[in-house]
Amino acid sequence: MIYYLLLPVFSLLLLTIQVTVLDILSFGKTGLEISLILVVYAGFYLSTIRGIALSFVLGFSLDCITGVVPGFFVLSYVLIFLISKGVSLRVYARGMVFTMGFIFVCVLFEKSLIILIYRGLYGINVFYDILNIALLQAVAAGVFAPAFFGLFHRLEGLLNVWEARSPDRL
Amino acid sequence: MASPRKYYTVTAVVVFVVVSLIIFSLNFKSPEKISFFRRVVLEAVVPLECAVDSVFSSVVGAWERYVLLVGLESKNRELEAEIVSLARDVSDYREISLDCARLRKLMNMKNDFNFPTVAARVVGRNKSSVFKTVLINKGTADGIKAGFPVMGTGGVAGRIMETSRNASKVLLLVDYNSNIDVFIQRNRCQGVLRGCGSSGGELRYVQRSEEVKPGDVVVSSGLAGVFPRGLLIGTVAVVEKGEAGLFQRIMVHPATDIARLEEVLVILRGKEDNG
Repeated sequence: MIYYLLLPVFSLLLLTIQVTVLDILSFGKTGLEISLILVVYAGFYLSTIRGIALSFVLGFSLDCITGVVPGFFVLSYVLIFLISKGVSLRVYARGMVFTMGFIFVCVLFEKSLIILIYRGLYGINVFYDILNIALLQAVAAGVFAPAFFGLFHRLEGLLNVWEARSPDRL
Repeated sequence: MASPRKYYTVTAVVVFVVVSLIIFSLNFKSPEKISFFRRVVLEAVVPLECAVDSVFSSVVGAWERYVLLVGLESKNRELEAEIVSLARDVSDYREISLDCARLRKLMNMKNDFNFPTVAARVVGRNKSSVFKTVLINKGTADGIKAGFPVMGTGGVAGRIMETSRNASKVLLLVDYNSNIDVFIQRNRCQGVLRGCGSSGGELRYVQRSEEVKPGDVVVSSGLAGVFPRGLLIGTVAVVEKGEAGLFQRIMVHPATDIARLEEVLVILRGKEDNG
C-alpha cells in the first residue's frame, strides 16, 4: 500500500527533475525521458498491477505538465508497459545491450505514435521535423538506460525493505 | 483453471487500458475542459519546479557571471554603440507614437494595446520535447484564463492552454498545434503562422503573387480573436517559391527567444473581449 501512496509524489518528483534539471544540463539539445525508462523497467521487473499503475500515473502527470495532445502520454506509457511486460515474459536473458536496444526501440515507438496522431487527427506531417529529435532522444535514453536501471533497482530494494519493516504493513 | 489472482491482474490491466483510452478520447471531445485531477497535478508541480528551478538558476547564473566573463569588454562596447543607435530609433518611434495617438483620437479608434497584463515567471520548460510548452507560476487567481496571449521579451511567445489556481501551461508559438492569424507589416499580406518546432514557424496560405522578402516583420492580425492586432510575432527568415502550387513557403523566425524564455507577460484578454 505504501507503494501506491508514494506513487504520485514520486512521479511528480521524477518528472520535475526530468523537465527542469535534465533540460538545463542538456542545454535543450536532447531530452532524456527517464519516465519512459522507468516504464520499461516496470515492465521488466515489477508486478503487472504495480507496473501499470506506475505507467498510468507517470503518463497522466507528464500529460498535465508538458502534453499538448491530451491523453497521449497516458496511452503511450500504458502501451509501452504492456509491450515491455510481454517481452519480459518471453525473453529471459535481458543483458545490458538488450536493455539499451529495447529502450531505443521504445523511444522510437513513442515518437512514431506522435507522428501517427498528428497525421491522423490533425493532418500534419511532422515526420521530418521530429526525426532528429527522436533519434537523439532514443540514443540518449538507450545509453543511459543501464545506469537508471541500476538506480531503480536500488530504489525498489529500499521500498521493499520499508514495506517489510512497516509495522502494520499498510 | 485460472487462479483468482490472474483474473484480478487481467481485470486491472483492462481497466487501466480502457481508462487511458477514455481519457484520450474525452479530451478530444472537449479539450477546453480541464479536469479536477489535471488542475491538482498542475498545482502540485509548480512549487516543486519553482524550488528546483531557483536552485539551478542560481548555480547556472553564478557560473555565467563569474566564469564566462571572457570577451565581456568588447561585447560591452558593441552594446554601448547599439544603445546610441537604439536611443535615436526610440526618439523617432516616440514621435510616431504620439502622432498615431492623436490620429487614433481623431478617428475614435480603440487602442488594441490597452489591456491589463500580468507578469509571470517560467518555472518549467521542456525545450527538447516534441511538444513545445512551458509552465508559468500564475493562474486563475491572477485572472488568467485559457486562450489569453502570452508575450516574451521580443514579442508573442504563445497562448495559455490550461490553467489552475496558481499555475498555467503555455502553448508556445513554435508548437505544431499553434496557429496564429498574422500579416506582413510592410505589405499587409495575410497568412496563418503554424509552429514548426525548434525551427520557428511556417507562414502558410500566402499566395505566390505576393511579394515577401526575408527580414519582413510579421505581426498578429487580430482576426482570430486571440491575439490583439499588431503584436510583433517575428521576421521572415526564408522565402521559397516552388515550381508549382498556389502558395509560397515562408519560414518565420520568432521575435522572442523561445529557448531562453524566463519571464512572460500574460495579456488579460480573451475571445470575449475581442473588439
